[in-house]
Amino acid sequence: MKFVDEFRDPAAARALVKSITELAGDDEFKFMEVCGGHTHTIYRHGIEHLLPANIELVHGPGCPVCVIPMGRIDDAMWLAEQPDVIFTTFGDMMRVPGSRGSLLDAKARGADVRFVYSPLDSVKIAIDNPDQHVVFFAVGFETTVPSTAVTLMRAKALGLTNFSVFSNHVTIVPPMKAILESPDLRLSGFLGPGHVSTVVGTHPYRFVPEVYGKPVVVAGFEPLDILQSVYMLLEQHRDGRCEVENQYARVVRPEGNVAALKLMGQTFQLRPHFEWRGLGFISQSALRVHDDFADFDAEVRFSMPGVRVADPKACQCGEVLKGAIKPWECKVFGTACTPETPIGTCMVSPEGACAAYYNFGRLHRETAQMVGQGAVGQGAGV
Amino acid sequence: MTAVVGPQAGPVTMIDEELSADLAGAALALARRFHAGATLWVLSPQWEPHSHHVAVEFVHPVIVGKRALPAVALVAADLVAETRIAVRPGDVVLAVAGADQAQVLDVMRRAPAWGVETMWIGYGDRPAAGAASHVLWVPSDDPMVPATGRFVLMYHLLWELTHVCFEHPGLLTVPDDDCTDEVCITCSDEGRLGEVVAPPAEEYAGALVRTATGEEYVDVTVVGDVVPGDLVIVHAGAALTRLEDSPQVGQWGPR
Ligand code: SF4
Repeated sequence: MKFVDEFRDPAAARALVKSITELAGDDEFKFMEVCGGHTHTIYRHGIEHLLPANIELVHGPGCPVCVIPMGRIDDAMWLAEQPDVIFTTFGDMMRVPGSRGSLLDAKARGADVRFVYSPLDSVKIAIDNPDQHVVFFAVGFETTVPSTAVTLMRAKALGLTNFSVFSNHVTIVPPMKAILESPDLRLSGFLGPGHVSTVVGTHPYRFVPEVYGKPVVVAGFEPLDILQSVYMLLEQHRDGRCEVENQYARVVRPEGNVAALKLMGQTFQLRPHFEWRGLGFISQSALRVHDDFADFDAEVRFSMPGVRVADPKACQCGEVLKGAIKPWECKVFGTACTPETPIGTCMVSPEGACAAYYNFGRLHRETAQMVGQGAVGQGAGV
Repeated sequence: MTAVVGPQAGPVTMIDEELSADLAGAALALARRFHAGATLWVLSPQWEPHSHHVAVEFVHPVIVGKRALPAVALVAADLVAETRIAVRPGDVVLAVAGADQAQVLDVMRRAPAWGVETMWIGYGDRPAAGAASHVLWVPSDDPMVPATGRFVLMYHLLWELTHVCFEHPGLLTVPDDDCTDEVCITCSDEGRLGEVVAPPAEEYAGALVRTATGEEYVDVTVVGDVVPGDLVIVHAGAALTRLEDSPQVGQWGPR
């Protein structure tokens, strides 16, 4: 159990919690953290229990593993099982369930599936294995796209003929729009993603205040960052302002990384639409490999089945991803669906709301119920 | 709460309730780090005797039977360079300095790339929230504070509480549930602070970058030319951005 005394600069955290409580008054607030990294911090440090009861944090679709539909996992497994293919992926994709098990299961059945830390490692594997074809399973928001873009550039410069990318990269703004359009969710504002914004900057979020009248504060990942960002959202409310602000200014520039955006534009193209688990099809929300790099596009080089697969009936990941229900409100949470035996993707990645809550939030909640919310607050030195 | 009678006025609260809690937290963190093999590095660019005093305090315990703990005063003119060379991941840096000390600010912002925990004792205006892991601040702007013994009291208590923690070995290891720090480092929004050690030696080679977990080669294509000492955010084997140069920027909080 983590409390404010264990935060970075506890005195600053205590002061912020006090100011937040005063500023919130009796009004009700519902803020969505878009990014899975924020969800992880919030649960790990029990931040929900430090905030007054009238401030609710809801968890958004910002874990890229959680939003991959089952059909794409099935395609990945199909690719991994092709003869002479070395299938490379980030570690947390290994356990994501498709309709025929996970990549780990495919590996157990004999497929050559390898975990890499960076897509550039896949290029090295391709150089070392000229008789085999290496596929990199590209997943992630704009944070991860530059690294895949650099990889494509390098593969082309090296003239590799045995390397391709199965792109499942997604972009952050369209799902935010989809959530804002959703009638069942009334939000007071957003904690904007931190490292995605390192790449895209803060300007792409301007439509949120301008069109939907909701404030956005781009936030860092320490508990203190989250508290400071909540405070900034409340300040906007108090001052009658509605704009995009940058709490994570020590890292994020308003214009983002222009060189990275240019490189992404050269190597990727927007897909007309892409299926998001639980959110359905969202237009222009994902990236495919650019036509100029078609030789490195696994979707061009292989005829994948591309079959749509419905989520298991019990799965309520969609509602969790939209923030409509809390993880523990899913009927199978913690019983049939656990990190060891995940039914839905939100239970797979540590940033998935269900896994984060299962690992940390459950303890906070149980303690809060045992000793009463007030006592937890005192324990937190608030 | 510690109250003493001040020379001119009435009782002065030396360590209030909140500062007591912060001292206890800092002492626990320090004890855990020492237990895991850390060295304490102490800087005090304005008041060098404090850095020697803290180091002596830990190395030569005044209470018989207390163990000596590794602590060293850093006193070079270029404190950033000296600290960079001295520290290893897992160490602790303690500064006794005002919030305006540029070298201390720079050390504090680089510390996550070196994998060290930071503590900052001072008085007057506080540094920006989050500037160090533990900010132990004397709530006074009396310019005599550095000479009055209030800093000495603070680090004596820090030393003593650290030894109190050693008397409770159960406190010294991080509980299991705190170790579930797994994040999805590759496909999540994770970004680690790194400090460039050497730029790429040739095309397609990465820059050698120091992070909290050691040194690694990192692609720097999208951040352009880098030089040793540049701070970058690393994600999935690539640098995403370079932090601005001045130690005054890249600090915590909005700008
Ligand atoms: S508990 Fe499992 S099935 Fe339910 S929403 Fe979470 S991940 Fe999906």
